[in-house]
Amino acid sequence: MARSRKSFFCGSADHDMSRRNFLGSSVAAAGIGSSVGAFRSDLLAEQLKKNDKRVILLWLAGGASQMETWDPKEGVETSGPFRKIQTSTPGVTISELLPKMAGRLKDTAIIRSLNTAIGDHGNAAKLMHLGRQNEPNLSYPDMGSVLARELGRLDSSVPDYVTFYTATEGRGNAVGRPGFLGSRYAPMFLTNGNSPDNISRLESVNEFDHKERADLRDLLSRGFSRGRVSAQLGSHNVAYGRVRGLMASEKLFDIEQEPQKVRDKYGKSLFGQQALIARRLIEAGTPFVKVSRAWWDSHGQNFETHLELVTELDHVMSTLLDDLEERGLLENTLVITLGEFGRTPTINGSLGRDHFARAWSASLSGCGVQGGSVFGETTEDGQQVKDGEIGAAELFATIYKAVGVDPHKEYHVGVRPVPLTDPGTKSVDQVLS
Amino acid sequence: MATDPTNIKVVKEISQPGILFRIARMPNSGRLFAGSSDYKVYDLDTAADEITPVEMVGHKSYVMGLVKTEAHVVSAGYEGQLIWWNPENHEQVRAIEGHERWIRNLTQSPDGGSLVSVADDMSCKVWNSESGELVRTLNGHDAVTEHNMRNMLYCCAVSPNNEFIATADRFCTVVVWEMSTGKEVARMRAEELYTWDPKQRIHAIGGIRSVAFSPDGNSLAVGGVGHIGNVDHLDAPARMTVFDWQKQEKTHVFEGDGKFKGLTEQIVFHPEGKWVLGAGGDHGGVYTFYDLEKNEVIKQDKAPMHIHSLALDESCETIYAAGHNKLVVWSIKSEEEVEPAAEDPAAETDKEAS
Repeated sequence: MARSRKSFFCGSADHDMSRRNFLGSSVAAAGIGSSVGAFRSDLLAEQLKKNDKRVILLWLAGGASQMETWDPKEGVETSGPFRKIQTSTPGVTISELLPKMAGRLKDTAIIRSLNTAIGDHGNAAKLMHLGRQNEPNLSYPDMGSVLARELGRLDSSVPDYVTFYTATEGRGNAVGRPGFLGSRYAPMFLTNGNSPDNISRLESVNEFDHKERADLRDLLSRGFSRGRVSAQLGSHNVAYGRVRGLMASEKLFDIEQEPQKVRDKYGKSLFGQQALIARRLIEAGTPFVKVSRAWWDSHGQNFETHLELVTELDHVMSTLLDDLEERGLLENTLVITLGEFGRTPTINGSLGRDHFARAWSASLSGCGVQGGSVFGETTEDGQQVKDGEIGAAELFATIYKAVGVDPHKEYHVGVRPVPLTDPGTKSVDQVLS
Repeated sequence: MATDPTNIKVVKEISQPGILFRIARMPNSGRLFAGSSDYKVYDLDTAADEITPVEMVGHKSYVMGLVKTEAHVVSAGYEGQLIWWNPENHEQVRAIEGHERWIRNLTQSPDGGSLVSVADDMSCKVWNSESGELVRTLNGHDAVTEHNMRNMLYCCAVSPNNEFIATADRFCTVVVWEMSTGKEVARMRAEELYTWDPKQRIHAIGGIRSVAFSPDGNSLAVGGVGHIGNVDHLDAPARMTVFDWQKQEKTHVFEGDGKFKGLTEQIVFHPEGKWVLGAGGDHGGVYTFYDLEKNEVIKQDKAPMHIHSLALDESCETIYAAGHNKLVVWSIKSEEEVEPAAEDPAAETDKEAS
């Protein structure tokens, strides 16, 4: 369901009066110092499940092959050795490298008809992060920042936007950015390990002292602010609250907190571990988490590389969806697989596939999605879109709509209205429930 | 068999659309069977002036194994099937589901009695070559690598005395088995042919793609690609390593020349061990003749295409190579053939006198 905003709203976080603030107050009432515990209270969890949407983006950096994932071909020169397999949705086939996902396609929609035209990693990644071409005079926010803004809480004590990118290749292409939304919505960009640096409490300060200090600061702040009206004071308090919240959320990044059997399900891979952390984060209220799995750029030995990486993706993605479903979170969580482009149907001399942005695929699972649906069709050899061609804008409109964000809403930069998606952009409603 | 690898010449190039992964030669002829990426097996006579391939249709994916048995041609496909064909009328004689996952290679014992297949179900299977009966299944390669990635079982060979089978995988583990019992008798690793990138791209490339026993059965040659910096490409020298497999020790390590990059996809020994030929490539092709006795490269050069399969004729003077979009026929006949020594009439007279 789209949420509308007043047309004069300037986009300032301080001026945002919304349901999110109300919920945020509920959180404040529950006690920010124990933010994780507060979020996990039954009543609030129920509230979250009903009302709050979350997004996990599985960013397949480097460009995964649509032929070896969501849009396989058979019996043609471009098909490669892997075959199609039937899925749980009659009539829908995907690559045999995705057997687990084939068995649980009920929550997943496949879009096979992306034509985004840009075939270099940097510019293509930027397009698929922003949903549009950037302008020299206007810095657009990326999907993560937009959704952090739209789905997050003003006074959230957990990070709004977390990105994992541990591999070094392509990292610079995939940096999220808040653009004109401001640094409040910048991502927590984790590149070294699975948890943020420098949020641990100092060893010289124990938990009791830490809480005592926070309580004292609150007491002094309330005393100071009595009789004073100041936006800065509010921001200051919010900032402290966020810092304490971030420190408290350190445990969200620690998969040791999960039962061993849950950790075993996700497996030992870095990708799996980070997907598990993503689940923990969105469960605690983080609206947007990007887990990057680099690096799919299989110019040589495409089939061997995809055998490795798609096998891993199949396991991680299906485990994540199962886990979200078991916890009652999948109906409010959108899981996306997306990269900067696909790969050429033509196979080169090294048995590789090269960059290809003319006819490639993405998937959407969970919240707002018509499970089992397929939109778009490519030609028999996969070289072109045959039906349902869309670009980045339409994909982004679809994603926003799936999580209840009006893709046509406008921000304002100064007096200039800036729509979330370009005017006239239509979402792919055929994949939405 | 007067061969001179330095005198290699292209005799014929034959265009054939697709990627030819395997060839098997009809004895005493230039007639080849070729397994292709279009799922078909082709019968073509390289000696003909006009080559008209005959199609044999039955596989559902890439044809990755091809062997000429006494009575049949047997092919193996990525989809897991083994098919026996009548080479004269090109009809299927038998098709069986050989493996649960993708078959990577098929070979035959020198005595012709057994076929050996390897697949990504990580099993090696021994079959009766004519009846198709499964004789034995050999399991011993790990399903995942130490980096928790799916392993692949790429190649196999049978020793000249028919007693041993060698299998080799993605992680560059080589296992030698006793043919008659299935018992594992040796295990080695050629780690120089495997690259794991833990930092930049977090995946692997490489693996042992070819394996062959020496004519005396004591050595085992394995081929692949050297250590790669950027695992997006086959950007390292084509390489070969030789083991004394009974001692499980490396005896020769050919690191390759950076000018000639890519995988070594197949290895064949001269029947008398005079040279070893490895061939493969990356975007282009490469071949290398090695002299194991001198521990040196005799000849290395670019090939007309990335080569996947080789076959020698009976004299070893003609080499057939198949790969991307073509077949090549090479001659390595020595230019200085030694004339048989003429009979010395005086020696005959002395012989009679004594």
